[in-house]
Amino acid sequence: MTAPLVLASLLAAEAAAPAPVRVDVAELPAIMAAVKAPGAQAVLVNVWATWCEPCREEMPDLVRFYRDHRADGLRLVLISADDDDQRAEVARVLGALGFDGPAFIKRGNDMTFIDALDPAWKGALPATFLFDAHGAKKRSWLGSVTYDDLRARVSGLLKRRKR
Amino acid sequence: MKLASMVSAIAIATGVAAVGWAGESTGGLALGSKVPAAVAKTKMKNVDGKMLSLADVTGKAGTLVVFTCNHCPFAKDWEQRIVELGNAYAGKGIGVVLVNANDPTQHADDGFEEMQAHAKSRGMKIPYVVDETSAVARAFGASITPEAFLFDKTGKLAYHGTIDDNRKEPDKVKARYLKDALDAVVAGKAPAVSETKGLGCGIKFRS
Repeated sequence: MTAPLVLASLLAAEAAAPAPVRVDVAELPAIMAAVKAPGAQAVLVNVWATWCEPCREEMPDLVRFYRDHRADGLRLVLISADDDDQRAEVARVLGALGFDGPAFIKRGNDMTFIDALDPAWKGALPATFLFDAHGAKKRSWLGSVTYDDLRARVSGLLKRRKR
Repeated sequence: MKLASMVSAIAIATGVAAVGWAGESTGGLALGSKVPAAVAKTKMKNVDGKMLSLADVTGKAGTLVVFTCNHCPFAKDWEQRIVELGNAYAGKGIGVVLVNANDPTQHADDGFEEMQAHAKSRGMKIPYVVDETSAVARAFGASITPEAFLFDKTGKLAYHGTIDDNRKEPDKVKARYLKDALDAVVAGKAPAVSETKGLGCGIKFRS
């Protein structure tokens, strides 16, 4: 293969590869700051792990819903319960799905973290929480969610785009 | 105020909705409850092949029931600490049993032979039994692994929750919730902390 062809192949491969995802290892205050930062009409928070099968099964729906509605003011914050040394794997999984929002690996006390998201949550993965534009929690899904669940419950909080 | 009441009050006050799933309970047995009568005598197969019920393992000083499993990374991280506590307090009058309520068709690692191998390699001197219809877990309102229920010598639930405050780094644990509760129950006292939570895997209930 000639040098120009090699270069073209490399550029094509780079263009096709998913963009790297930034994953921060963070404790609760930094995570909640991302959840409650101004500028969103609605914020979905999902707690997951790379090894959690129901989490991996629902993740494409979550990311697709986010991509379909981010222009309407939706923010999706993904919080992994993986160990810190799994940062690259977390980034790889989310990058493959084309996720480009805030992503964390959670550190610190579990109980404080759980109660901050929903005192009714016992801590089982996956779990998803919906906050409004003012940072008030509106709903929890303690278990898997689907695109249709999200469309039914989240869309009302979002602004309507001019299409 | 007990946790369950507090949760209900918060939900009513805020109008926040929580949607559970087939595997998730937002409660569990309330403190002071006894082992649900419907499952107290349910026989479960131990890794040694014998059939045991919760009534069979009741201890003079109290009874510890831990819902756990083989495959869950959370349960694995705490596993050695659970086994060490179980082995140690079984010698202090606490009846101890580890219960696997997971459906092994969802995770082959939770099959009976794998449980036997697990018990042997981890040095378990306590029963590790199969909740073969998940009925025991359902009756307890258990929903995650690991999840501990500690009953005092009168049979009332004295502690419910997780193992300690640092799953990932055992040497950095500051609060040994379950150990402290076991010490209190062995001493005939109420645990200072009676309800805790930790992240865990959802129990893969059998249908």
